[in-house]
Amino acid sequence: MKRLLQILIWTAVAALGAVALGTIAFHRGEPINATWFVLAAACSYLVAYRLYSAFIAAKLLALDNTRATPAERRDDGRDFVPTNKWVLFGHHFAAIAGPGPLVGPTLAAQFGYLPGTLWLIAGAAFAGCVQDFVILFCSIRRDGKTLGEMARDEVSKRGGLIAQLAVLTIMIILLAVVALVVVNALKSSPWATFTLAMTIPIALLLGVYLRYFRPGRVLEASFIGVALVLLVVVAGQWVADSPYLAKVFTLGGVTLAFAIIAYGFAASALPVWLLLAPRDYLSAFIKAGAIFSLAAGILLVRPQVLMPPLTRFVDGSGPVFAGKIFPFCFITIACGAISGFHSLISSGTTPKMIQREGHARFIGYGAMLLESFVGVMAMVAACAMPPGVYFAINSPASIVGATPEAAAATISSWGYPLSGATMTGLAHAVGEQTLLNRAGGAPSLAVGMAQIFSSTIGGDRLLSIWYHFAIMFEALFILTVLDAGTRVGRFMIQELGGRVWKPMGRMNWMPSILLSSALIVGAWGYFLYQGVVDPLGGINSLWPLFGISNQLLAAVALVVATTILLKMGRLKWIWVTLVPMAWLVVITMTASYQKIFSANARIGFLSQANAMAAQLAAGKVAAAKIADTQRNIFNLRLDAVVTAVLAAMILVLLMEALGQWYAILSRSKEPVMQETPYVATQWAEGD
Amino acid sequence: MRTLWKQLQGSLRNFWRGLRQWSGDSAYETYLACATRESAQKPMSAAEFYVEQLNRKYSRPNRCC
Repeated sequence: MKRLLQILIWTAVAALGAVALGTIAFHRGEPINATWFVLAAACSYLVAYRLYSAFIAAKLLALDNTRATPAERRDDGRDFVPTNKWVLFGHHFAAIAGPGPLVGPTLAAQFGYLPGTLWLIAGAAFAGCVQDFVILFCSIRRDGKTLGEMARDEVSKRGGLIAQLAVLTIMIILLAVVALVVVNALKSSPWATFTLAMTIPIALLLGVYLRYFRPGRVLEASFIGVALVLLVVVAGQWVADSPYLAKVFTLGGVTLAFAIIAYGFAASALPVWLLLAPRDYLSAFIKAGAIFSLAAGILLVRPQVLMPPLTRFVDGSGPVFAGKIFPFCFITIACGAISGFHSLISSGTTPKMIQREGHARFIGYGAMLLESFVGVMAMVAACAMPPGVYFAINSPASIVGATPEAAAATISSWGYPLSGATMTGLAHAVGEQTLLNRAGGAPSLAVGMAQIFSSTIGGDRLLSIWYHFAIMFEALFILTVLDAGTRVGRFMIQELGGRVWKPMGRMNWMPSILLSSALIVGAWGYFLYQGVVDPLGGINSLWPLFGISNQLLAAVALVVATTILLKMGRLKWIWVTLVPMAWLVVITMTASYQKIFSANARIGFLSQANAMAAQLAAGKVAAAKIADTQRNIFNLRLDAVVTAVLAAMILVLLMEALGQWYAILSRSKEPVMQETPYVATQWAEGD
Repeated sequence: MRTLWKQLQGSLRNFWRGLRQWSGDSAYETYLACATRESAQKPMSAAEFYVEQLNRKYSRPNRCC
């Protein structure tokens, strides 16, 4: 009877999900209510978790709760700490949830709500969650080894080096693009700039408090910090209203880029307890609060989605970024559906803290489902504003024009009615001088969030406070990714440098710290500067580059996972990792090829560089712009080389893996696995 | 009513304990329990442990995009 009831309940959930998915897929004409998105996503996730993850856990991985995990065998109270599965879920989710699932779907909304929403749901269920879950399992069985170590041990030594280099390259592109998102959100905005600048002294204050006054009392320090941050969000309005202070905090893109570069260097070279760690504590609480509030806001307000399911830009002529749905929707969504970076967390802290193998399903698969849900909410927030407003915020001036009237005329001619007064009024309502040409996703998401929040609490009166709260939340946790990533990049450079020149590998040697910090900051800072001065807005070239590199890392992770599963003799179910891996190779190779060689100058780096070079040769460039044009040509060619190097990395790794797979399947070589031997758990069931 | 109150108290206690674990607030207590159980050496002070733990945590990828 109980079984029958269960079947009935799950059939009802699946049917409701199918109806909701069908509604958002086939709805045309009138705006559609956001509740359908929430229902479609939630029901699909529940069914995927109940059926697909259970199948993977039982058949593909054969999780064994009688086997002691690294946390039990090596419990040291520091790295290896057995942790309650709900706490570890929160830990893992806080680590994997970054700005990607907020920014990616917001940018992909230029195709309409449908392609992005479908990929967020399907990509997470069949690719992203699978990757996180399987890599977590592989790492648990190897005492918490990293992805690079597993690639070296299970694929080949060259595979390990490629994985390490891929991580470093991706880190550089990632840091540049997230910094660009912050620059585009803060430029010419004294309120937002002041608020974010003030988080630095607040973090320093907390750092000293936690180091000298109350060591390790993270909760009380975080409560004080969050209260101070909320105070400076409100105080930002006074700064914006003061003629003198507003002038001080009104900064252009280039100045902001250099300020962020200097900040990144400081965060990397200064003691971690002083700036980086306290900022991370603040960010974790504000991130959790903002995501929860957004979900609650969408459920309470149930906004209408005004963006059509498909826009005219499915043809590849989009103003936010150029390229067709295939492959660029998948490249742009990235983290909300599958993120290669998650494999670093799944093979980092989490496997060392897990109590039971069986918890890997809830933590690995479940946390990624939640991340995908955040992506769907970001899509709803971006699509709930009138499409004309969305395009005005996200399009570069070189395409739509720099004034509200010019932008409104261009965007209206595309079929998305907009008046200049609407943009001026909206900018005024959120306390900004302008909202135009702020590509990057953060400001449009902030407008969407602010409209949802203000419909719940405060009405139009609080719109500007909510807008700046949303900007602060996004910028704060982007900067956390930036400083933590810069520091990790510094360690990677020190480690790689140590192979060439030993003293460079000494982690506490000050010249090595300063040199490696300068190298990593210089690398992402260069791409950031390039993005800020890019006439097409920077996001057009940098975000696809980031998406390609991120998805390539996911392909690396799935290659490693597939190799390990083949060695375990799981050939029958190998399609679970093989199919998403093949899909990622296809989309990243297609995107890489198009970004390098496309004849369309807005897509292909080389054709854009050649078009500029031709203009230069024909003397059509004004004398004052010759140096800028030459620099742009160099940057475009550099982007083409970086894309080619990334594509070459995955192809080499794939060849290495194919050699391994052939040897395993043809039984020409006995597979050697580096799995830790079985040790029975000493814990009673239910511990 | 009394049982309900007790259940509520228990849930709140669990939530608070989970929040402390999640945020790292109770990390030193966890370390101290483990160190006194398994090592003859003098355990680190709270301040020493805090700095050592942060240096380890932020030397590997721990925040995603």
